[in-house]
Amino acid sequence: MDTRPPSQSEHAPLLTASGLEVLYEPAGGPPVHAVRGVDISIGQGQLVGLVGESGCGKSTLGYALARLLRPPARIAAGTVVFDSTDITNLDRKSLRGIRHNGLAVVLQSGMNALNPVRRVRGHFHDVLGAQQRLHAAEVDNTAETLLSQVELAPSVLDRYPHELSGGMRQRVAIALALALKPRLVVFDEPTTALDVIVQRAIMDTIARLQAEVGFTALIISHDLGLVLGATDQVWVMYAGRIVERRDSPALATGPLHPYSAALLACQGDPTAEKVELGGIPGSPPDLSKPPEGCAFAPRCWLSGPPCKEEPHEKLVGTGSVTCHMAPTKLEVPKLIRRVDGPSEPIPDSGHGAKVPTTASAAVAKGRGRHRDATTAEPLALIDVTKDFKTKRAAPSEGVQAQGLVQAVAGVSLRLEAGQAMGLVGGSGSGKTTLGRMIVGLERPSSGSITLGNLRVDKLRTRDLPRYWRRVQMVFQDPYAGLNPLHSVGYTVGRAIRNHQGLKGDDYRRELLRLFDTVGLAPPEHYAAKLPHQLSGGQRQRVVIARALAAKPQVLVADEPVSMLDVSLRAEILHLLGELRKNTGASLLYITHDLLSARLVTDQLVVLRQGHIVESGPTSSVLRSPSHPYTVELIAAIPTVQQSQTVPAGAITERPGEPV
Amino acid sequence: MRYVLRRLPVLVITLWAAVTLNFLLPRLMPGTPAGAAVAKLAGQGSVSASQRRAIEVMLGVPHGSLASQYWQYLKAIAGGNFGISYTYFPEPVSKVIGAALPWTLALVGTVTVMAFVIGTLLGVLAAWKRGSIFDTAASVGCTFMAAFPYFWTALVLLYVFGFVAGWFPIRGGYSASVSPGWDWSFFVSALGHSVLPAFTILVSGLGGWVLGMRNNMMGVLGEDYIVFAEANGLSPRTVALRYAARNALLPGVTAFGMALGLVVGGSLLTEVVFGYPGIGYLLYNAVVNEDYPLMQALFLVITVSVLMANFVVDLIYGLLDPRVRR
Repeated sequence: MDTRPPSQSEHAPLLTASGLEVLYEPAGGPPVHAVRGVDISIGQGQLVGLVGESGCGKSTLGYALARLLRPPARIAAGTVVFDSTDITNLDRKSLRGIRHNGLAVVLQSGMNALNPVRRVRGHFHDVLGAQQRLHAAEVDNTAETLLSQVELAPSVLDRYPHELSGGMRQRVAIALALALKPRLVVFDEPTTALDVIVQRAIMDTIARLQAEVGFTALIISHDLGLVLGATDQVWVMYAGRIVERRDSPALATGPLHPYSAALLACQGDPTAEKVELGGIPGSPPDLSKPPEGCAFAPRCWLSGPPCKEEPHEKLVGTGSVTCHMAPTKLEVPKLIRRVDGPSEPIPDSGHGAKVPTTASAAVAKGRGRHRDATTAEPLALIDVTKDFKTKRAAPSEGVQAQGLVQAVAGVSLRLEAGQAMGLVGGSGSGKTTLGRMIVGLERPSSGSITLGNLRVDKLRTRDLPRYWRRVQMVFQDPYAGLNPLHSVGYTVGRAIRNHQGLKGDDYRRELLRLFDTVGLAPPEHYAAKLPHQLSGGQRQRVVIARALAAKPQVLVADEPVSMLDVSLRAEILHLLGELRKNTGASLLYITHDLLSARLVTDQLVVLRQGHIVESGPTSSVLRSPSHPYTVELIAAIPTVQQSQTVPAGAITERPGEPV
Repeated sequence: MRYVLRRLPVLVITLWAAVTLNFLLPRLMPGTPAGAAVAKLAGQGSVSASQRRAIEVMLGVPHGSLASQYWQYLKAIAGGNFGISYTYFPEPVSKVIGAALPWTLALVGTVTVMAFVIGTLLGVLAAWKRGSIFDTAASVGCTFMAAFPYFWTALVLLYVFGFVAGWFPIRGGYSASVSPGWDWSFFVSALGHSVLPAFTILVSGLGGWVLGMRNNMMGVLGEDYIVFAEANGLSPRTVALRYAARNALLPGVTAFGMALGLVVGGSLLTEVVFGYPGIGYLLYNAVVNEDYPLMQALFLVITVSVLMANFVVDLIYGLLDPRVRR
């Protein structure tokens, strides 16, 4: 990461796009204007990041630049010039020539980027053979060299994709892209869905290769922190436009567009003394009806009368910003804060008043009226183990070739009533299995789990529904967790009927109260919606409301924010914190994300390959870790030297006042 | 090899279950064939003791315990002895079936394979050229064709090409002027007789394969590995065949296995309409004439071939998809 080519502006642009517009024209739907007039250029050897929330058009832009758009998407206007060739309307055949001549793409997480019925060797044969006639031995040699560049052994050649771990597959995909001898590589979310430590390793590999091979790279990601740490320049995209284009260090320390500032405020350093997180209320606009004026205005705490007009690009140093208000001093409202020692989420800020769906407002209303949990009881795990029979071990994970895998190996822990405990670790650490055993979805192989006096591990299947009135789980995927055919009101209502047995007016009142509690106001409006009519964050709120319908003593939340945009993370975490305070329920928070663990938990347990390697108060575990694995986890977080050094910017103490 | 060995016990157990059910089911029905025959005769007048005795000897009556009957039955099956057919008396059932089987295998088997191959290729092409005129024509045409009841297609073909135009023979497997044997005139005659039934089966089966493959292929074309292959500059042909079609084929293989298993059962209505001397026609006759030994043997043959076909396809699937191999 340290070896970076010298400054960029002198280089001739390798790729330029001007006036680029992309339209999706789905059959039977209104056309969606996904990219709306983008002018960009990437110089030789530059590393550029492209960030934004999902739905802002960043992947579409990346695909358009690589000419990979397919119907119903098409480039409606503008040009893309690669290496002084206009590729905007190039036919398939000439395009193949361009690809062999150095335009490569690495797709999202690489998980499905490889043909499942073809060995890795076959992939190399296809890619290398498409460029020139080669003997099998030559291909093998080249492939082995390429694999060694991405730190894989030659034996990988004989594997099928499903026999490789996610990180290995992504490395193979990178090696295949390198086989094109690329001059420009577009990385679309290269590390999403990978384990944190693997994520870090892949980013390091990309940076090293970039320095060695000297390709130019565009890294598309939703993770501003990751991109800032790895690139020279960052483009921030919103609603189909680039709203800010700056050198990475400059953006990290002084974002000019409120959207960039807000995205930056969604990042934080979990090891800092004081951790605060902002969020961006609302969601990106529907681009089938592009908004008038500034697209970000409805979500912006700075917006004023001028924002009704379309903003123009203002040049700032080597970059630019497209905002009427820039450059203003930017203070981003924070939703949740943790300071060393006992701490609490930020009391309701002005921000909540502006956006009615914000959790805090609704929770504040509901506060004191209901105490949901019955007398809480401690949850205790003693020497819990869980063995799984394996069919075949993934070669990377270092597990025995066949037989038993110990997912959880002798874990003892105690979650006191009303406490919030974090369970952190990489993939394969056993944290999810542990969560599933606690809610009774799996049975431990040995050891005991007790809630108060109840032996959870001895529960019979028919006793589980009663147990679930006391312990509820919030799952990772809010998209898969709701039946798409039922209104969310029905879904939550079922839980109310099942767990509380309410009918008639009582039922109706409870349903509305729950929607109100999770910040979906007005409740009548949201209860009638079908899941697909809600955003990811709203769906996760529904899932939480459903869990609350049981009035649980213990809430087990398994990565509740990992599938959501970072802009929503703070909202949901804030909601979880508030609910815990108001209901007295204890929270077991399972995550790989140390930052969110820091924000909502008091106690932290670090798991590695089924063992507890470290535990203690959250802030002390994170701030002075003692186990090497904890140190490694912390080191894997992309660090942005934002906050501390810059007094202005996003971090001031005062809860944001609308300007 | 381990993959094969792991699947073998399942095959053996299902085979045993099929054989046993085939033994038990007729015995669960009330009455016996001899009883039924006697009752039929009794309707026309009184049945003398010797007549009754003769019928019982001819058709057989169960004697001994169920277990000993079961043992006898297993032994008989192992020796290929399925009894004597009533309809084709005194031919043994095994011989009757043996005569019909080649006809069905040749006609229905060939056409099933053809329908699968042609249909799949058309499906690949339709999906690859999605939205084109070919795609639209293929999709609409196949839906249209699949909507016809196939015996109706058979009757129309028979009327138009057999009766009105007189291009093809109307019924049978070969003309009366030739005798079955390995000679040219017989072959030509048999081929001519098979055209209309074959076309009927093809028309009725093709649409399903085309549409199925097209839909699978469309799904696969949306996968990341297709985009990635294209981004890596592979030729469209390689992407279409080695990446897209190769993966889209997998669900089709399972369906093909089932279709193959059903080949032995013949194409009942087609064979009946064309008077084709295959298993389907045989089954029809067996049912009409209450020919229990023939029926029972046919059921067994059909069940066993479905099981075997599925087993073989299971093995092939293992070859095609490394993910199920262990």
